[in-house]
Amino acid sequence: MTPQLDLRNVTKRFGGVAAVDGVTFSIAKGEILGVIGPNGAGKTTLLNCISGVYRLDGGDIRWHGVSIAGLAPYRVARLGVGRTFQIVKPFGSMTVRENVAVGALFGSDSERPPLRAAFDRADSVLELVGLRMKADLPVSALTIPDRKRLEVARAVATRPKLLLLDEVMAGLNNVEIDDALEMVRAVHETGVTVVLIEHVMRVIVGVCERVIVLDLGRTLADGQPDVVLRDERVIQAYLGERYARRLRGG
Amino acid sequence: MTTSQRWQRILIVLGCAVIAYAVLAPLTSLDGAQALNLPLLTDKLWFRLATITAMFVVMATAWNIIGGLTGYAAFGNVAFFGIGAYTTGMLIAKAKWPFLLALPLAPVAAAIFAVLVGLPLLRLRGHYFAVASLGVGVAVGELVQNLDYRGEPIFGGASGLFMPIFAVPNRDLYFFYLMLGAAGVSIAVTWAVIRSRFGYGLIAIRENEEAAAVIGVNTTAYKVAAFALAAALTGLAGGIFAQWNVFIDQENSFPIAYNVEMILMALLGGTGTVFGPAAGAVVLQLLIQFLSGSLPITLDLPFVPEDAMPVLAQVVLGVLLALVVIFAPRGVIDFFGGRSRLTIAYLRRSLRETSI
Repeated sequence: MTPQLDLRNVTKRFGGVAAVDGVTFSIAKGEILGVIGPNGAGKTTLLNCISGVYRLDGGDIRWHGVSIAGLAPYRVARLGVGRTFQIVKPFGSMTVRENVAVGALFGSDSERPPLRAAFDRADSVLELVGLRMKADLPVSALTIPDRKRLEVARAVATRPKLLLLDEVMAGLNNVEIDDALEMVRAVHETGVTVVLIEHVMRVIVGVCERVIVLDLGRTLADGQPDVVLRDERVIQAYLGERYARRLRGG
Repeated sequence: MTTSQRWQRILIVLGCAVIAYAVLAPLTSLDGAQALNLPLLTDKLWFRLATITAMFVVMATAWNIIGGLTGYAAFGNVAFFGIGAYTTGMLIAKAKWPFLLALPLAPVAAAIFAVLVGLPLLRLRGHYFAVASLGVGVAVGELVQNLDYRGEPIFGGASGLFMPIFAVPNRDLYFFYLMLGAAGVSIAVTWAVIRSRFGYGLIAIRENEEAAAVIGVNTTAYKVAAFALAAALTGLAGGIFAQWNVFIDQENSFPIAYNVEMILMALLGGTGTVFGPAAGAVVLQLLIQFLSGSLPITLDLPFVPEDAMPVLAQVVLGVLLALVVIFAPRGVIDFFGGRSRLTIAYLRRSLRETSI
């Protein structure tokens, strides 16, 4: 079966540095996949390559078998690829509900709703992510965890088939992370394929069926979380060589 | 009913009364009305002023679509006014078209020009777009005056274009209502845009262009469409102006001062709102005329000789605008409709918003 998203040798260079260096993997429909890696591993760059924000320097990205490399971000979005930004980018002058309704008004090409229906959809998405009570607030009145929820809500409202979440848990405390995980599970259960890009390991283990580890722009490991996290190269990349040696008992 | 709601009602009634007066008062200048000995509410001067004010309502409201809603500070919109004026002017003066047939082509020509210029220019952001659009505004005026073909100026050159006077009874009244109609169309278009998918897309672009793109807004197409819509409305005003004024040249069709004035009107009234730019246009236009001594009411100030009044007018305008931008960044329209009240607390909050 053709995978939903297929990355082949994806490469992105900035000057002489290859931020993403020949990354290859594929995502099946309905999966919930974690992408982790230390700072500078190329996680966000990879996401920008998929969503069309960056142009590839090499390789190809296929959506249901058709190449989407080089498409403008709005075209990728219309195919059904939603995303969030690590540094949230809300529409500041709008209320929470309006932010989400704009997502519903545009987004995936399938059945673009009229204004009234978009606001109805916004309400049901806000219910899903737990922001129903704050729908009429201006964005400036939201706390950081709520702003991250709003970022997710706007992306979910675009009716994506694949949702790319860029560090939606970063900066949250443990209780807030549990709430956010609950939200991610709820979104996944609506039938959306989810890619969770995270720095925090705990998040991935809690919710993902499969994990990809990036380091210095390359794929270091790809597999079930408990297997991957015991992989020596992963431990080395994350915690340094000395720690890895100590684990080995050296 | 709360106090703010009561105030809102009073303001709506007052506003309607003012608009009704502005629309109907010129009718008393009709010969029939004067023969019946109805009291004269407006003379020629007020009349001309009202038409010019309506013209600025069109320009400020149109600018708001690209500058206020989309967030792209266009500094060269006067080019669209001039293109509209010259399209109508050329068709009437050279091709001998009737005015009413030539007028619809003014917004079309301005919009086509906006699409051609907008495609490269709207890739620029912030200050870069502002400066580049200003360049276009200046350049078009110069081209129109200086383009020659076999030694003959194509667009009338420095001596401008003369049109035959449009033969309708009560010509001044006719053009006043035409311009007023254009103002109404501009406001109605803005009202419709703000409530549409298109409008939400434009505001999304203004608030965060990258976020707008990844939720599926075709940002380039939307920006160019907003620019073309603003251009069409501004071009319409230019087209009406050309036949109303009978004579057009670079100086009256491409005045760089209009660029600044239409933006200031939108800022003063409130950018991104439906009625703000129109309100700003009325207030600022009356103020400009008052300060420069064009109104029958004049001001006698000690220590200021009469011939220095126009200079003083500029100073007062400058200070006023600086104050508005700093203390009321959402424009005076923010005080109407019961959302905010003009208090010391409001001014302090604004100052916090507008300063580093």
